Amino acid sequence: MKILVKILPKPEVLDSAGRATFNALKADFESLSGCHLGKLVELDFKEGVTEKKALEEAEKMANSLLINPLVEICEFEVKE
Amino acid sequence: MLEQNLKKYRISKAEYETICDLLGRSPEGLEWAVFSALWSEHCSYKSSKVHLKKFYNKNKIVVGDSDENAGVIDLGQGERLAFKMESHNHPSFISHHQGAATGVGGILRDIFTMGARPIALGNYLCFGEANNSNMPRLVDGVVRGIADYGNCVGVPTITGRTHFHKEYNNNILVNAFALGYFAPDQKVVSSKIPESGLSIMYAGAKTGRDGIHGASMASESFSEDSESKKPTIQIGDPFFEKLLIEACIEVIDKNLVVAMQDMGAAGLTSSSFEMSVKDGVGLLMDLQKVPLRDNTLTPEDILLSESQERMLLVCKPEHQEQIQQVFEKWGLDAVEIGQTQKDKNITLTWGEDKLLEIDPELVVEHAPRYERDYEKLSPKWESPKLNTQRPSLPDVASKEWIYQQYDQRVGVRTAKDCSQDIGVVRLPHSHRFVGVAMGCEPEVMRDNAWLGGRDAVVRPCLKLAFNGFTPLALTDCLNFGNPEKKPIMSEFVESVEGISEVCKILDVPVISGNVSFYNETQGQNIISTPATVVVGLSDNILNFNSSFTQAEDNVFVLSIETQKLYENLASTMSAIKSWSQNADISSLAMVSLKGLSYTLEKMSLKGDGVKTQSMPPTEFYQFVVATGQGKEIFDELLKLEFICVSAIGKTQKAQINIEEQSLSAKQLNEKHSKVWRDFLGRFA
Amino acid sequence: MKIGILRFLGTNCDYDIWEYAKALGHDCEWLWYKDQFNPTAYDRIIIPGGFSYGDYLRSGALASRTPVMASVKQAAQNNIPILGICNGFQILCEIGLLPGALLANNNRRFIDKWVDLEVVSENNYWSWGQQNIRLPIAHGEGRYFIDEQGLKNLEDQGGIWMRYNDNPNGSVADIAGVTQGTVAGLMPHPESAIYEWMGGTDGLKLLRES
Repeated sequence: MKILVKILPKPEVLDSAGRATFNALKADFESLSGCHLGKLVELDFKEGVTEKKALEEAEKMANSLLINPLVEICEFEVKE
Repeated sequence: MLEQNLKKYRISKAEYETICDLLGRSPEGLEWAVFSALWSEHCSYKSSKVHLKKFYNKNKIVVGDSDENAGVIDLGQGERLAFKMESHNHPSFISHHQGAATGVGGILRDIFTMGARPIALGNYLCFGEANNSNMPRLVDGVVRGIADYGNCVGVPTITGRTHFHKEYNNNILVNAFALGYFAPDQKVVSSKIPESGLSIMYAGAKTGRDGIHGASMASESFSEDSESKKPTIQIGDPFFEKLLIEACIEVIDKNLVVAMQDMGAAGLTSSSFEMSVKDGVGLLMDLQKVPLRDNTLTPEDILLSESQERMLLVCKPEHQEQIQQVFEKWGLDAVEIGQTQKDKNITLTWGEDKLLEIDPELVVEHAPRYERDYEKLSPKWESPKLNTQRPSLPDVASKEWIYQQYDQRVGVRTAKDCSQDIGVVRLPHSHRFVGVAMGCEPEVMRDNAWLGGRDAVVRPCLKLAFNGFTPLALTDCLNFGNPEKKPIMSEFVESVEGISEVCKILDVPVISGNVSFYNETQGQNIISTPATVVVGLSDNILNFNSSFTQAEDNVFVLSIETQKLYENLASTMSAIKSWSQNADISSLAMVSLKGLSYTLEKMSLKGDGVKTQSMPPTEFYQFVVATGQGKEIFDELLKLEFICVSAIGKTQKAQINIEEQSLSAKQLNEKHSKVWRDFLGRFA
Repeated sequence: MKIGILRFLGTNCDYDIWEYAKALGHDCEWLWYKDQFNPTAYDRIIIPGGFSYGDYLRSGALASRTPVMASVKQAAQNNIPILGICNGFQILCEIGLLPGALLANNNRRFIDKWVDLEVVSENNYWSWGQQNIRLPIAHGEGRYFIDEQGLKNLEDQGGIWMRYNDNPNGSVADIAGVTQGTVAGLMPHPESAIYEWMGGTDGLKLLRES
């Protein structure tokens, strides 16, 4: 069981990397209206761990270490 | 089958025949990989060794042998320095960021392998012309790579040189320099194994697929498919290197190590064979014990992997546990993978199975030596025509955009940073100062290689002398094209001889160095570029720098006639040094070959500027001096009839007036940063 | 004074701070990241700069979860003066002993340069006693961020310690250093400005006996 933790800067925080990437893309891709750069954390859980348990743990990990809630938000995706 | 192997292992037909003669049969199994790696140009120096022997490389301050990881000099008062420069040109062209980063990592390991704490970094970079569409990405990647690695590992970058020329469009140069320090109670660790019955330990990062065949790749010319060679690029981890530095220095300080060698080019093969052959002590190693990141690696992969941040330690068996404890403290593993032997052979096993047994002397000492074709260049005193009327490319802009990305102060020893003509660090124990100056002007090498090699020593020595330093020793990184081409080999030989000749006159031994041949892409060779670093010593630091620091100073230009300088080199150098020690001046900078006006602009970027009344032509050896005094301060130097001084104007507050150009300090800074913004485009 | 200096894996200004404190005549002791310590045994605690844990995940995040930081928290509760410099500042924000967070510089590059600063609040433990100072910065992630309410609180409590004259990294309200209770953090490196040969001596006045 894998859980993906997708981390993005909060909308109100200036995302300088996202801005720079957006500026590089916008000339060639007219349809683009924004771009945000974050992090992806892939958590591998041991065999037999239930999805519910894994999600609960992932959430705890996110709140205790993986994100800084002052400047970041995250969402979770179950994979496999 | 044979043809396939020759191609795969990049061994020529003639070399294959030599191997057959040495072994009395055709090579088998791992022997192919071992010969391929150790007979590569990169490891064997087969095209250069006969000439490198000519270097002036010994005097009373040089410590130890020239076959160690870096050269060491004794500064007296118990303090010693280790330093070296190395190229990472091919990897940096293929993977700009990682190539440059691992170049820094590799040169640092050469230094702390010997037990010296790295205290300064420098870099010599040559990029292609600014309007080459690849260049912004390359410059950005290389600078980020150097910054990411050096900053994180906590060693300050204190000096550097950057050039832009179209001859480097398809083959940039990334040369990294590192300086290490031995305090009075610290010992120099050799890479030589003195006896049998010792343990061989593998420490640091696990082995992965990185850089397999890297050494032989660096030994051939570039073709278009170099892009597809990306998988062989090594990935560096500066955080890991920082831990490795601390752990290695701690085990050395605790006297637990007999010998040590980093695993650099050609990885475990090169390090184990070279350690073994130096004193003829054999090794038995079990490749199954090598910690792996990827379990699918074959014994051959393990032998050739160039994974970064790995060390080979030799210790007494009873010290193993203590070594492991130190490495564990720093979050690292150290495992025994073998022992030193009574016979002189290297034996490699996989558990119980023997994979290879060979006398390392056959591979290392009998490596081919080529006397490549060359002709002697004749002396030519004319300095190249200096083209000072050029467009505003990064070449004639302040390099602040680059060096601001480097931590120049960590370690709290930096007395002169990258904004100055030379880098300076203060020694922790004696509080004396060490100056670092780089040389080699591609423009001179292109037009006059005879003078260019000599100038690569004289120019940095002049910079040191004018800052009150005594030049002590030199390291070089000889970047050349294809040595099988006669004009290139001729410039190589002339550079070696020219550098050596000047070094001997100035008593500045060449204590370490590196040769990078085959800087050739699709038939086009780079300008021959023998980059140098000269290290000097001074008891005190003079109270002036390379920028204007106050208004209402008189500004002079001091010029030295080239041929006369060379005819009176040693005496002029010491006259300059003693003059500068006593001179009442506020600023001093060497005039760049990019022009006097560019030099004056650079000197004005920190606030105070200059108003010129007259502008003498730019000359080969020229300095700008600002002083509150008059021309009489030069009296002592002007006794030398080949030095002349002319007044060119006065310093002024926050404004420059250089010939027709009139700018405020703010406008001047904006002019220089605009050059970079325009050049970098979306990489700005 | 007796000063405890923290060391994490990847701290690289540890000796710099040691030398700095020694030069000012103080006693120093190392505080290793794996160990807890007696929170009242020190007059001052300093968390030096560097790249703890390679700045991986977020600068300061991994260091802030180590055993030694539990003792630092207790020391803060005991009103022991604690100072974080550069990476130390990032760690103190991560653990919540200082408000706000430090993000990648606006230009997404490491910046090493001398900057002019204005010290805007007096502090009983860490101070300059002069208004304008010049110190070097050397960081890739020094853009101070705090939300509007947080900024207001900081201003009300006099928690803004120093500001950049010419904001180099995009910090909110030009903030270069903040304080909260006995805890203080700043991005510039005072230890790199204590001798004339370094280029300035404004860093000398930071450690003040209270």
